[in-house]
Amino acid sequence: MGAEPIISLRDVTKVYRQGSVDVHALRGLTMDVEAGEFTAICGPSGSGKTTMLNLIGALDAMTSGSIVLEGRELASLNKKELSELRRDRIGFVFQAYNLMPVLTAYENAEMVLWVQGVDGPSRRERVMGLLEQVGLKGMENRRPSELSGGQQQRVAIARAIASNPVVVLADEPTANVDSETAETLLDLMEELNREQGVTFVFSTHDPQVMERARRVVRLVDGRVASDERR
Amino acid sequence: MKILRMAWRNLWRNGRRTLVTVAAMTLALWSMVLYTSLMEGMLGSMETTLLDVELGEIQVHADGYRERPSIWERIEDPDALLRALDETGLRSTARLLGGALVASGDVSTGALLKGLRPERDALVSEVHQRLDRGEWLDPADAKGVVLGYRLARTLAVEVGDELVALSQATDGSMANDLFRVRGVLQSLSEETDRATVFLLEDEFRGFFALEDGAHRVIVRSSEGQDLAAAAGLVEQAAAMSAPGVEVRSWRDLLPGLANVFDSAQAAVQVVAFVVYVVIAILILNAMLTAVFERIREFGVLKAIGVSPRRVLALILVEGALQSALAIGIGLVASLPALWFVTTRGIDVGGLGGTAIMGVAMDQIWTGAVSPLTIAGPVFILLFVAGVAVLFPAIKAARINPIEAIHHQ
Repeated sequence: MGAEPIISLRDVTKVYRQGSVDVHALRGLTMDVEAGEFTAICGPSGSGKTTMLNLIGALDAMTSGSIVLEGRELASLNKKELSELRRDRIGFVFQAYNLMPVLTAYENAEMVLWVQGVDGPSRRERVMGLLEQVGLKGMENRRPSELSGGQQQRVAIARAIASNPVVVLADEPTANVDSETAETLLDLMEELNREQGVTFVFSTHDPQVMERARRVVRLVDGRVASDERR
Repeated sequence: MKILRMAWRNLWRNGRRTLVTVAAMTLALWSMVLYTSLMEGMLGSMETTLLDVELGEIQVHADGYRERPSIWERIEDPDALLRALDETGLRSTARLLGGALVASGDVSTGALLKGLRPERDALVSEVHQRLDRGEWLDPADAKGVVLGYRLARTLAVEVGDELVALSQATDGSMANDLFRVRGVLQSLSEETDRATVFLLEDEFRGFFALEDGAHRVIVRSSEGQDLAAAAGLVEQAAAMSAPGVEVRSWRDLLPGLANVFDSAQAAVQVVAFVVYVVIAILILNAMLTAVFERIREFGVLKAIGVSPRRVLALILVEGALQSALAIGIGLVASLPALWFVTTRGIDVGGLGGTAIMGVAMDQIWTGAVSPLTIAGPVFILLFVAGVAVLFPAIKAARINPIEAIHHQ
């Protein structure tokens, strides 16, 4: 560690307008994420975990401050550039898997590569390898409805890492699965992190995730309350 | 390819909704193809009746005849005009017109006698083919006349019965003669049905003591020839051979009916539009519901970097696939229906000689098929479906990924 951070947040604030009330989701948040980290962002509901992931993931715009991803200031990018950044440099894993129900496991994992314009044979080689890696070999042609929750989340992980992103942002990735499945998912992500150097940032309430994370950042009221590296 | 596959699968996620939408589009297309065919058939048949049987495209009268029709107001030398018209390549015939009282038994009524030369007239008019019963005029049967069907009914005469005609001849004498009903026409037009008696030109001249001249020259243009250009040719021919005449196209003679023909096509399109607006609302509703149900998916697509353009394309392709299905099924289903209406038609004889603006409809209402019969309804359906699907597609493309992903 100690290298140049791949993600850098400085005095980031996010204020939502709810009716006539301003809701301060983030209040001057500052932190860095370095390559290869396995970081859990935890904190009570409303502490700003998901907001922070949305801002890092270029899904939302901050109110003030600075977010730099691989040397690019997100605030300076237009919509198209942000969309390309998400496509090429960021992987997303959602709580509810959010796979395309009409696509097979293979097609879901292939989606980002297709959007990137990767040619068919290269896509096939990459996706078949990924599905084997996440333990879904032989299930390529199953649709999400034919897979368990854990298997769906594995497809989502394969989709997230298919484009070799600089970071995978996982919003409560184990919230919808039982503890045993959660354990296997964490094993998988840890393995990807360890063996392939994939950087993971989770938002979580799950003690299992916090136990396995090598860095735990606790947010309270939109600020970093503690930052523990293990 | 992937968009096409996704779109196709998306359609069958709610197969019942897709089937209902496609069925409605198919039914709309089918009914519009059939309606267009029937309207084209009706207008075509009316135009045929009007131009091929009654008016011709252009008519020549002596100046002032049309304002005050009179046996004395005639084209001086119709044969010279007919020869001049022959040289232009236009088909023409001369007719003599005179009013008379016709009677049979105790019944009498006013009628318009139309004198003609059958051979020459047959080049121009199809009236000789429109007999309901009996036979057309024949020079071998000098006293044989052919009547409009209502006139025959009024006089209670049938083929073979005698008919007395009374009028004033041009020399001031009383014109009267005994004729024999040789044929009765089908319903053609108000004027012909109710009060027309066709007879040989020589008999007409004898009856009215009219040695020369004719009251009307009917001219037919060639297939596809511009009406104004044809009228110009007739005017040139008339200027050289028959001074003191007026040349009028059928549109000038019957402007009301010309408007009916012109506006009929527009009317077809208006009806099609109304039908399709209903379909558009159905498509809009179906696609909006489909977009609303999949709002999270669009959010995820946007989040992982799928461009708004691709999301837009996905919805448009879904709409296009539904349209393609409807067009395919609709056209296949249209074939037997078109075959039926074009070959057998619908018997409207029960309507008792229905006429529109004085022009009778055929007893069997047959459809017609032209490229427009198919292309018109198909293009309007594509346009309406495109417009209807555009709004949901733009909505999906513009979706905010965060709001969409967290949409409940």
